[in-house]
Amino acid sequence: MGERVQPERDRMEVLKAIAQEGIQNAAKGFSSMVGRTIAVSDPVAHLVPLLSIPKYVSGPEDDTVGIYLRFDGDLLGQIIMIVPLQNALELVDLMMDVPAGTTQVLGSLEKSALGELGNMCGSFFLNAMAKIVKASFRPSPPAIMVDMVGAILDIVVATSLDAGEDVLLMKAKFADGPRSVEADFWVIPDIHALQALMQKSSES
Amino acid sequence: MKEPTSVGLGEYAISRNPEDVLVAYGLGSCLGVSMIDPVNRIAGLLHAVLPEPSNGTTRLDANPYKYVDSGIEALLAGLIQEGAKPGRIVVRMAGGANMLLAADMTRSFDIGTRNIVTARATLQRLRLSLSAEAVGGHTGRTVRVYVAENRVTVKVIGDKEQAL
Repeated sequence: MGERVQPERDRMEVLKAIAQEGIQNAAKGFSSMVGRTIAVSDPVAHLVPLLSIPKYVSGPEDDTVGIYLRFDGDLLGQIIMIVPLQNALELVDLMMDVPAGTTQVLGSLEKSALGELGNMCGSFFLNAMAKIVKASFRPSPPAIMVDMVGAILDIVVATSLDAGEDVLLMKAKFADGPRSVEADFWVIPDIHALQALMQKSSES
Repeated sequence: MKEPTSVGLGEYAISRNPEDVLVAYGLGSCLGVSMIDPVNRIAGLLHAVLPEPSNGTTRLDANPYKYVDSGIEALLAGLIQEGAKPGRIVVRMAGGANMLLAADMTRSFDIGTRNIVTARATLQRLRLSLSAEAVGGHTGRTVRVYVAENRVTVKVIGDKEQAL
């Protein structure tokens, strides 16, 4: 039993290190977009069984914004940023530097701003990961969805179900001074990418 | 009032308890397939994720309810085991949306459409007729099966439950 637990713990340590570094770098991407320092606090990482994803999100019918991108290059995978609708409105306020509560609906401008946020955070996250594992990645343009969280996460589940059993969930709070907004990042390297990440990070 | 029975990803539920409501929440590309024997009042709901196992995944070690084809077969077998008569079973389905609108992602990721096509073919093979469906498009759906009333509803974001 002990022999099984230790590699699992090592694996989690590696993934947590990648998550920590990646999220910190994503916050730099956010900062460069808004021109102010956006801090990130309490990044946490979990390895989650694919079919249990809905248990890690709020009600599966809740209105949610999903910012989705794929990456290719040396390794393949997907990143999805999941933000409850109310938090997404606050993120737009934060990006536009207007008082919280100003944005009431997500029009095309607001969606485009959130897409750009996903683009910046995703690219900066991948840059950090690339440095750790000495590989290169190219992100796709972001796709924005506003729907029930369960329906949005179907994309991740359906495209990964036969490839692997676990996905990496990272939660972090982005803070601009006293204002903070929580977001979830799901990073889903495909099965070969996950193995390569473990291999390369153990070598480094 | 009894809590609804949540049918998660790759799961199914069968009930003959009139107090039961079976729910598959937030179906995107996933498909919710309901089967009801209205005479014996037996209802079942499947929440399938993929059309069929991909190459390299053997059916033997796979959960049949993850897949549309084997899930429908297993749900039908489960209903019959509970006393449902195949000729009376009313089938309805919802889901199979394509959640990604980005042009370069749509085609390769349209698992929703493949789920719908597989479900129709499987139902035809099993000689089950589909009495109603709310499928495709680009919106998520929640499907509820009310066992007591032989009733199925669908809800999309920002809208009320509608009878299916």
